[in-house]
Amino acid sequence: MSNHKALNMFGRSGNPALKADTFSQSARGTSSSGGIQSMDSATMTLQGTVNKTGILLALVVLSATYTWNLFFEGGAGAVMPIAIGGAIVGFIFALITIFKKQWAGTTAPIYALAEGLFLGAISGIFEAQYPGIVIQAVGLTLGTLASLLFLYKTGIVKPTENFRLMITSATMGIALLYLVSMAMNMFGSGGIGFIHSNGLFGIGFSLFVVAIAALNLVLDFDFIEQGSEMGAPKYMEWFGAFSLMVTLIWLYLEMLRLLAKLRSR
Amino acid sequence: MDANTLIFGSMAVISLAIFLYLGRFKASSKQTDRDDRIDWTKRSFSLWKIFLYSLVLVGGIVLVLQFI
Repeated sequence: MSNHKALNMFGRSGNPALKADTFSQSARGTSSSGGIQSMDSATMTLQGTVNKTGILLALVVLSATYTWNLFFEGGAGAVMPIAIGGAIVGFIFALITIFKKQWAGTTAPIYALAEGLFLGAISGIFEAQYPGIVIQAVGLTLGTLASLLFLYKTGIVKPTENFRLMITSATMGIALLYLVSMAMNMFGSGGIGFIHSNGLFGIGFSLFVVAIAALNLVLDFDFIEQGSEMGAPKYMEWFGAFSLMVTLIWLYLEMLRLLAKLRSR
Repeated sequence: MDANTLIFGSMAVISLAIFLYLGRFKASSKQTDRDDRIDWTKRSFSLWKIFLYSLVLVGGIVLVLQFI
């Protein structure tokens, strides 16, 4: 199958993952020693995906630094329009990346820059209220990332179809709960109180959400591992890095919320 | 630099280094040579099933809330 045909088939898939035909192109990136994959492959590699994740992380930090500084110089009023704009642009580009994976090389960096603007402002607001909270959330988020990668690579955590069903359902459930809470807030009924409370149930809920966000990382690792094993197209490196970035940003925000609840008690 | 920044800053830097290093390697055969691996080439359950499960989860949380 030609690369072009594979791209077309891949693009038409409504599946969030990959098509069998695309995977079967080759696994040329795998070295005979079973170790590090080569970088010059025309297909998706682990090395390429890790590099691109590093680039997206750097872009997030770059734009976050801008709104972070702006917040501490001009206050919340100066930074909120940029933060809200960043969140909206980020959401739009996330949707484009999901539905047009071939464009991920362009849309994923824009997503990272836009989300960085939002994260910098939110982090500044939390830091002003609870000094030292941001470095704690960053450390714990990256710590979770490294720990789960180790558990995945060594085979201690083994994602199965049932695992995927449970984590996907729980993620959708949390999204549903947040949506209902937002809708209730808009209509002035105060939202679902326990989500934001610093009581035992509120903290328990935040812990549950952090756990689900962390377990989503395992699904991302498995997706990337299989994509590189089966020789998915090169642009899937950007898509894999983007998936990882979406989960990491969610995990970071939930860490911030959890730490804020604990500090406010 | 305070202790908080030092501890969590080092944790972030070390974790990032571990991710960038470990991420380049293939997963162990214990992970890859399994019959029950996720098949990412097909969707093995319907969106309705996921939606139903998530509704059950939300319902469960709301029910627990009622009793607290």
